[in-house]
Amino acid sequence: MELGQDYGKPEMMAAAIIREIKEGDVVFHGLASPTPMVAMKAAKALGKDFCYITLSNGIDHDWSRAPYCASTLTENTYTGSVACLGLDSIFDLYCSGKGDIAFLSCLQMDKEGRIAMSYLGGDYDHPKLRGPGGAGSATLTPITPRTVIWKTGHDKRIFVERVDFATTAPALDKLFTVITTLCIFRKQPGEKYLKLDCIFPYTTVEEVKENTGWEIEETQVPVMTPPTAEELAAIRKVDINNILAYEFK
Amino acid sequence: MINALRAGAYGIPFMPVGGMWGSDLVANRPEFFQVMKSPFDGKEVVCVKALVPDYAIIHVQEADIYGNARILGPTYQDVLMSRAARKTIITTERIVGTYRMREDPKHTEVPYFTVEAVVELPGGAKPGICYPEYLTVDWDDHKSYVGSVKAGEVPSFAEKMLKGRV
Repeated sequence: MELGQDYGKPEMMAAAIIREIKEGDVVFHGLASPTPMVAMKAAKALGKDFCYITLSNGIDHDWSRAPYCASTLTENTYTGSVACLGLDSIFDLYCSGKGDIAFLSCLQMDKEGRIAMSYLGGDYDHPKLRGPGGAGSATLTPITPRTVIWKTGHDKRIFVERVDFATTAPALDKLFTVITTLCIFRKQPGEKYLKLDCIFPYTTVEEVKENTGWEIEETQVPVMTPPTAEELAAIRKVDINNILAYEFK
Repeated sequence: MINALRAGAYGIPFMPVGGMWGSDLVANRPEFFQVMKSPFDGKEVVCVKALVPDYAIIHVQEADIYGNARILGPTYQDVLMSRAARKTIITTERIVGTYRMREDPKHTEVPYFTVEAVVELPGGAKPGICYPEYLTVDWDDHKSYVGSVKAGEVPSFAEKMLKGRV
């Protein structure tokens, strides 16, 4: 597989997301989440057996319905569902320990995995940029067994030394994963800081260091296998409108 | 927000919530978040203050003239909002006979005695989505809505959207 020819950053991120999901997992992604939406539909197309919960109330919707916009509230994540759950029930089920993964995103993050979703710049009442807030992620991030943050970028404005205002933060006792366009960071249960877990085939540890606002101590990390032909075929099959590219424009 | 509405719906002053640990929101908004100890085992828990909206405005697919409202697509927090609010206004794609409720009462998630008013308003969720009536966002109208918010001209946008429909 060759970058730019067979796959790009969107496909690599989607493959990394697919690989996070284990058989039997209960998995949720948030609003406006085209990257995990396409990846999870592709994981279904690959035959992976897991429970797909969406904000449009659907459980295990008909994954073969192609997304036609980046919103995750349209009928393509609802039609064909086997059951319905309101957002309140989704939170309840995760709070009582019945969920496994929540795919969420962030505006900014620091080495402890503290996440800014409320605002950037200025202060809470007079922000330069008002974010979407984080009622959802503030509840889900600390209680989900394997919270996974996906971010379609990687630079020092996103990954900073210290976040001014943390909308949410990972729990000490839980695994916490961050998938970027260049690499995967993980915070193991019991640990406080993110560590570089692996890099994607088209980058180097040096490049990741140059684009991260905190000190990365790891020097040798594995390189993730490129998306396989099967993964790429599944992504293309479920995403005929190339919604996966939306976040990368 | 959900648990704040729940406290409102249950008629209690606050509600413990799951998660929220590590969030600066808790310290920054003491008028809304407080940490307390469980009276049973002393475990600390974040609490939110009850939210009782003056009005909940809920758009549904079918309602009768008495206010019985049937939600035929995703429900989100609609039912909870109607339980927490002092008054609920139903807007509906169409008015149907009460016999529809009797055929399938489980779909009537908002009963008439909790409803203040019913407005027949086909396309009332536009430029958003109302499953299964219309399935995509109308991006042009959505754009003019965002523009009208920025320009402080929402009433004239609403007038345009409602022209000939009410």
